[in-house]
Amino acid sequence: MDFGTGAALPVSKPPLARQFNPYTSNGGTILALSGEDFSLVASDTRLSERFRIHTRDQPKTYKLTDNVVLGCCGFHGDVLTLNKLLAARIKMYKHQHDHEISCSSLAQMLSTILYSRRFFPFYTYNILIGLDEQGKGCVYSFDPVGSYERETYRAGGTGASMLQPLLDNQIGFKHQNIPEQDRPELTADRAIALVRDVFIGAAERDINTGDGLHMQLVTKDGIKTLDRFPLRKD
Amino acid sequence: MLAIREQQSSSDRAQQPISVDLPYPGFQFDLCLRNQYLISKGFKAPIAVKTGTTIAGIVFDGGVVLGADTRATEGEVVADKNCEKIHYLADNMYCCGAGTAADTEKTTDLISSKIRLHSLNTGRQARVQTALRMLKQMLSRYGGYIGAYLVLGGVDCTGAHLYTVHAAGSTDKLPYVSMGSGSLAAMATFETQYKPGMSMEAAKELVSEAIQAGIFNDLGSGSNVDLCVITSRGVDYIRPYKEACSKGVRQGDYSYKQGTTAVLETKVREIKFDVVSVTEHKMEVD
Amino acid sequence: MFNYESPPHSHTSIMAVQYDKGVLVGADSRTSSGIYVANRVSDKLTQISDRIFCCRSGSAAHTQAIADFVKYGLEMHSTEMGKPPLVHTAAHLFRSTCYEYRDQFTAGIICAGWDELRGGQVYSIPLGGMCVRQPLTIGGSGSTYIYGFCDANYREDFTRSECMEFVQRALALAIRRDGSSGGVIRIVSIEEGGIERFLFTSEDCALLQNF
Repeated sequence: MDFGTGAALPVSKPPLARQFNPYTSNGGTILALSGEDFSLVASDTRLSERFRIHTRDQPKTYKLTDNVVLGCCGFHGDVLTLNKLLAARIKMYKHQHDHEISCSSLAQMLSTILYSRRFFPFYTYNILIGLDEQGKGCVYSFDPVGSYERETYRAGGTGASMLQPLLDNQIGFKHQNIPEQDRPELTADRAIALVRDVFIGAAERDINTGDGLHMQLVTKDGIKTLDRFPLRKD
Repeated sequence: MLAIREQQSSSDRAQQPISVDLPYPGFQFDLCLRNQYLISKGFKAPIAVKTGTTIAGIVFDGGVVLGADTRATEGEVVADKNCEKIHYLADNMYCCGAGTAADTEKTTDLISSKIRLHSLNTGRQARVQTALRMLKQMLSRYGGYIGAYLVLGGVDCTGAHLYTVHAAGSTDKLPYVSMGSGSLAAMATFETQYKPGMSMEAAKELVSEAIQAGIFNDLGSGSNVDLCVITSRGVDYIRPYKEACSKGVRQGDYSYKQGTTAVLETKVREIKFDVVSVTEHKMEVD
Repeated sequence: MFNYESPPHSHTSIMAVQYDKGVLVGADSRTSSGIYVANRVSDKLTQISDRIFCCRSGSAAHTQAIADFVKYGLEMHSTEMGKPPLVHTAAHLFRSTCYEYRDQFTAGIICAGWDELRGGQVYSIPLGGMCVRQPLTIGGSGSTYIYGFCDANYREDFTRSECMEFVQRALALAIRRDGSSGGVIRIVSIEEGGIERFLFTSEDCALLQNF
């Protein structure tokens, strides 16, 4: 009893098991999509915990090589550790093979790293973007223990459940009665505008998403970081 | 004429069930056992909407200012972007609510009606102290299980008063108060900027600042600032007083062309109907 | 972790002392809700009748409700008797309430006052609902730090000013050591002639500085 009036009354309570919880969620939403000759990854810049904001300026995209970027959010401690580990493994790969790791190889490597922690996982949602061997944009999405697949678009993090249906409709043309050949090709400009719009929506309804939108575009010319787009700050 | 009518109605009654029971007043606990059983079988019980909230109030020269944000959350999701958290109690008092949304609304509604009856019985305007006593006695009777965390403010024949009422039933009287998950941010604003005997305008601006501190620094609070200024001359309920941050402007066009939704099948059915003539009767009022 | 829903507690330093002409009751002014100071200038010295006060410690909601109830009961009693209530009566009304609901209430109360029959009196009603008269009693979480001080410095023949100095120093020492006590020191003197309230802030009391 948290009370100091003197002798406490003898009250019998059942034994209480206490456990340390090593994880916490720091919020944040990531989104990646790919077109014919580009891929794009975006994240909000809010880092939060429960009802508190730690910072309004923490982008959750990480440049791994000259043309591969990782969108990574969840528990920020694990995000940092995973990125450090990845950076070391990428360097080792380069020295062993005498060339930069490709996007598809990096995806396989990340999967292996994640699965190595199968019974004490990294609490991170990962989406990897880059260009494939043919120069087409590619997106690989992962679950926290290493299951992954290549997709054309994917959202992750706390706002994922709000973004994904919108992308399904706007990019996947789900529930739109438009024949395959009439569907417009996704250009980088339209992709950027769409990402901004869906993040505006997510910031409206997800309390962990907001403050700013950070975007990185991968083309054959390399990685380009776009201007910060402001989001709601409440 | 009257007698016949009564006879008719009594014969009608004979064919109907004897009487329809009115529900008992107060809470009903008849589903407790059933729900306990369901939970023991692995059923996930629904949880009530809790509003992460910033509510605050200060006393100024001649009255009180109450303030609230307008966000209602269900877990991580914003359930309502513009909800009303400053509740009417009487013409001379209002009450801001934090905690379980249903509890704050029903508690203030109930006390509001009790105050109305009280002032009709006594023929005077009820005092803020009276409302406070009703609230604290009701809440303490339920031992904190009614999750209403309130800021009560008003003006009566004894002056301007401001109180906080905790769900457990404890109350505090202070010149500036805040409640809810954003109360720390709001209180920090008050502790640095409050001065005794402020003007109405300065008081409004300070409460707005305090609520905005909650809106920006507490994830459970957001959207707009509502204010309610109560003086002996009347009430000025300003909703919204300020839009703390505006919605982004969308760039794309998301309207769909006609035919976007696939038509799976078409069926035309004839609706049979009778033509009924309608005539107007004048109601007997004499 | 801040949680505004945790019920406010008076983790307190409270005391009451008998002196030649009456009693002094004193308390700190901190009400905490978990780790948050919900009220830094609260008044834990609650008036029950003209010449009787109680010091509240424990759950703020419980002790406020008990004080309201006892105040009401005592007023009914003195109306029936046609004279002011005895401190003994008030103390035992507290006792019976606290005892009857001892597994529901978290309340440690000190009841003190003056009456014609026995003069200044101090009664302690701790958690379980017992009642004992003492010339000096201390309560609340902060009291553990000042038992030695009180034992060493209390005298039965205190004058009011000596007693005031004693209470002030004792509470300041308790506040200094106890993290859940703080704010200002409130003292009420109760004598035949009437009651008087005193307030000491850190400006008045060197021991209180920065607390």
